[in-house]
Amino acid sequence: MSMLNEDVKKNYVQHLSTEPLVKRFPFPFHEDSYRYSNNSRQLESGLCLDITPEYKGEVEEKRALLEKFPMKCYQSFSHTIEAQWEVLDMLIHEMVEIYPDYFTLKKQGDVWIFTNYLLNEQDTFTFGQLNTLPCEPLDFIGRHMQEDLVIVSERDQDLYMDAGQLCFPANWSLVFDLGMTFTEWHSPVPVFSDKLAAKVRDFLMRMEAGKPWTRYNWTLTVEHILPTFAEDFDQWAPKKEKITKENIGDLVHLRVEDQRLFRLPKSNSILFSIHTHLINLNELSENREWLNRFSKIIDDLPEYIAEYKGFSEYKLLLSAWLKETLYVKKL
Amino acid sequence: MQTKFLQVIVEKVKIETSSVKSFTLVPPRGERLPGFSAGSHVTTYIENNGKKLERHYSLASNPEIPNEYVIGIRKSESSRGGSEAWHECIKEGDRLFISNPKNHFPLSFRARKHVFFAAGIGITPFIAMMFDLKKRGIEFELHYAARSKELCPFFPLINEHFPEHSHFYFSELNNRMLPDLMKEQPIGTHVYFCGPELMVKQFSQRAHAYGYPKANVHFELFSPPDMGPKTPFHVKLSKSKKEFYVSETENLLDVLLDGGVDASYSCRVGGCGSCQLNVKEGVVDHRDQFLSDEEKKTLQVILPCVSRAKSKTLVLDI
Repeated sequence: MSMLNEDVKKNYVQHLSTEPLVKRFPFPFHEDSYRYSNNSRQLESGLCLDITPEYKGEVEEKRALLEKFPMKCYQSFSHTIEAQWEVLDMLIHEMVEIYPDYFTLKKQGDVWIFTNYLLNEQDTFTFGQLNTLPCEPLDFIGRHMQEDLVIVSERDQDLYMDAGQLCFPANWSLVFDLGMTFTEWHSPVPVFSDKLAAKVRDFLMRMEAGKPWTRYNWTLTVEHILPTFAEDFDQWAPKKEKITKENIGDLVHLRVEDQRLFRLPKSNSILFSIHTHLINLNELSENREWLNRFSKIIDDLPEYIAEYKGFSEYKLLLSAWLKETLYVKKL
Repeated sequence: MQTKFLQVIVEKVKIETSSVKSFTLVPPRGERLPGFSAGSHVTTYIENNGKKLERHYSLASNPEIPNEYVIGIRKSESSRGGSEAWHECIKEGDRLFISNPKNHFPLSFRARKHVFFAAGIGITPFIAMMFDLKKRGIEFELHYAARSKELCPFFPLINEHFPEHSHFYFSELNNRMLPDLMKEQPIGTHVYFCGPELMVKQFSQRAHAYGYPKANVHFELFSPPDMGPKTPFHVKLSKSKKEFYVSETENLLDVLLDGGVDASYSCRVGGCGSCQLNVKEGVVDHRDQFLSDEEKKTLQVILPCVSRAKSKTLVLDI
């Protein structure tokens, strides 16, 4: 990798939206009630990347985590290398086609020159030749995006987690889940794991290239912390103990995962991408419709979901705060 | 970025035998085709006499060669128009739309050895599989039955690339391909069949008798198997309140699609499960290979592309 000279830098940053978060946050609820379900929708755009104004900060945070905790953030089996090149190929072309101001790709045969103007970097490598990249292809391309990336292989009529670059997990561990089947890595999810997980697995195995799917997942996170690794539970989980009526709006964040699923036709694997968004309750409540809906959802939510998502301790406080805030906003 | 359909140009039409042609499909200039995994097929969309024809054909080339798909099509006497239109109307330079590659017949990952049994045009998916396995250095053998060398599609290609792995059985020379080839194989062998329904059935039964685990037996059918006489039935849709009649010659999926129901589907031969619908009332006449016997008993679902009703009326939850 080399840094670009000043004169080839492009004026890019102003293209990134400057709208406040509450205007562009992916609010995940379409009803006043939430239960586990296969809430997948067809991904009409067909795109994996979503570049937000947080790009630079989040990519820098990802890279710092990858440097400091390489094992925790990156895992792969050697049989995924071909699928990894396929992922790199798909995403790099999406980057340069959708964001030509931010990325360019020049090809001289199999030699690819990739430029990232957002980070002011240039990389040259030979497509398909592992030793020409500084790291594995999935790891390489993931370092240019905000999304976490997981390769799920279809092998002998089942789905396996076979590779991943994961920096912003919502309380799960790549090291722990690697090599597990779909139903195995979902076994901790209450109710879902009983029957629904197998159904969703069958649905995913029928996924076709050209017809990607998307879904939102959500939880709550105390403080603006993207990397909530299961491995670091002791560091971030106790933070909920300091929640009070006064600070809850600042501390508690709605954490939404914009998940996308693509069938990769060459390797017949599935690419699973996760773009994590965080918004604190104060900011969220600036949208009264969202506040109203979220309040109803929390009141209707079964204990087992609150327990699994880790906020049953402050659910009552949260419910009261949402109702009170809603009441004040109506005045 | 993935697109729903791919536009391709017919670069080459080659006469393989007196009844089989192969078609090489390439992308328009400056564009690319997605790669494909061994065992994949594409759905082709062509028109003949104003009739839209949607057909599935296996990709019969080396997956390592980028931007090129080869399909082999046998002109079928019982053609519903698809293979005939391909043979009579499609010429070099034509443009058409196809689906992305889909794989309902993938190679086993855990197999120690792969043994392929092909009859006639059933050879097509195995060509890509053999290229793939040869590259990866995994053990395989091919057993391939045809009437004669002249009527054996892709004979020269197979002979050129896989001479040590291939065994031919030409009925004109009284050579028969028999299931007992499966008998003496090492543990961890997976067997694959592609050909007429009768052949697939016979080989599957014998594989089972030889003690092959179910997961080690793979097959692909080109047309839905004959499951006995079909009777007409009524179908009611509980949510949209629509009602249809399915005659003995029609299938439920087509009736739903013609009736404006936005039903999803893919293989149309009861193999992939894409069209599965929930059944509220009625008894299903299951005719697919997707659901297990257990699921057919316990789940209230139907694959409308092939399955029908045993009761006079079915109520679907759509």
